[in-house]
Amino acid sequence: MRAALGLICLLAFAARPAVAGAAQEALSAAEIDQMTAELAAQLRCPVCRNQSVLESSSGLAREMQSVIRDRLSAGETPDEVKAYFVSRYGDWILLRPEPKGINLVVYLLPAAALLAGAGLLVRQIRRWASSETDLEATVAETQTAVSQATAEANVAPASQTEADLSRKALSEEDEEWIREQIGSLR
Amino acid sequence: MKGAGRWLIPILPVPVIGLLAFGLTRDVQVLPSAIVGEPAPDFHLATMSGDSLALEDLAGEIVILNFWASWCIPCRQEHPALVRATETYDPGKVRVLGVLYQDEPSKAKRFMDRFGGEWETVLDPGTRTAIDFGVYGVPETFFLNADGQIAYKHIGPLNWGIIEAKVDSILAVEGATAS
Repeated sequence: MRAALGLICLLAFAARPAVAGAAQEALSAAEIDQMTAELAAQLRCPVCRNQSVLESSSGLAREMQSVIRDRLSAGETPDEVKAYFVSRYGDWILLRPEPKGINLVVYLLPAAALLAGAGLLVRQIRRWASSETDLEATVAETQTAVSQATAEANVAPASQTEADLSRKALSEEDEEWIREQIGSLR
Repeated sequence: MKGAGRWLIPILPVPVIGLLAFGLTRDVQVLPSAIVGEPAPDFHLATMSGDSLALEDLAGEIVILNFWASWCIPCRQEHPALVRATETYDPGKVRVLGVLYQDEPSKAKRFMDRFGGEWETVLDPGTRTAIDFGVYGVPETFFLNADGQIAYKHIGPLNWGIIEAKVDSILAVEGATAS
């Protein structure tokens, strides 16, 4: 009895690595499937061109997925698999080009355009702010000028002629008109 | 707006418009190839006649490596030019070799029987060799020099003018190197 139990324990112990190995294999296959899908999503389908290898239903895209899976299963890293496709099709095969060389334009241009736009906006806002200050200064200057003109007109010299009097009347009309304009400006 | 700023806004769209205009001058059919000038990828494939053929078997020959399929209409269009190439060039110097792309050998055989041509075609199970060569679709043709390097690549149907120009160019380079 004791011998039989020992044999069962021995068999169970011997079978353990095999069970663990099978679980490891299953996990690796799942991982490889996931990595294949991730890589296929980054590669352009040479037939459909606007679709990734993952999305495309073309025969070539399906074969490319198969190549990805085989290479990953053979122990290549995702970067090595990607490098293989780049070596065959060039950078064109990558849906997201590597940020190097002329490709940098794709990455830097939007940022440059954003900065330029922000600069123009700031500049315009400053111009609007300064023109508002200018308007207030103009209004103040005009008011001062009107007040001075009014004061001068009211202190008419004794020797004023009819022409001077009509000029004074005209100045009062002007004054009224200027006040209206200032009011409309505000 | 003062100074340079007055000109800045009208000038800003110029590079973008220039880029778009440049894009319009490009032919969308012309795709980049990373392997032109590189050694041809190695292969060892079964032929339609039941033999096998490896890249090393082609050493010393100029090879017109044509990826094709019987279902491909432009392949029919270019076929007479390939027939002419086999009739024009010395078989020991210039060889036409077909690579069957996603097709059945029986259909490919019917195609060859119907349209003529005696050259060998190798089978490419899993499209592995086509992917190794960076093929986009068929017809696509690679011109290999005697050293096994890819001298040119042509996407789309060939005509005699293209074949003659490419082969003569390779022959001229090799003639110059030899002398």
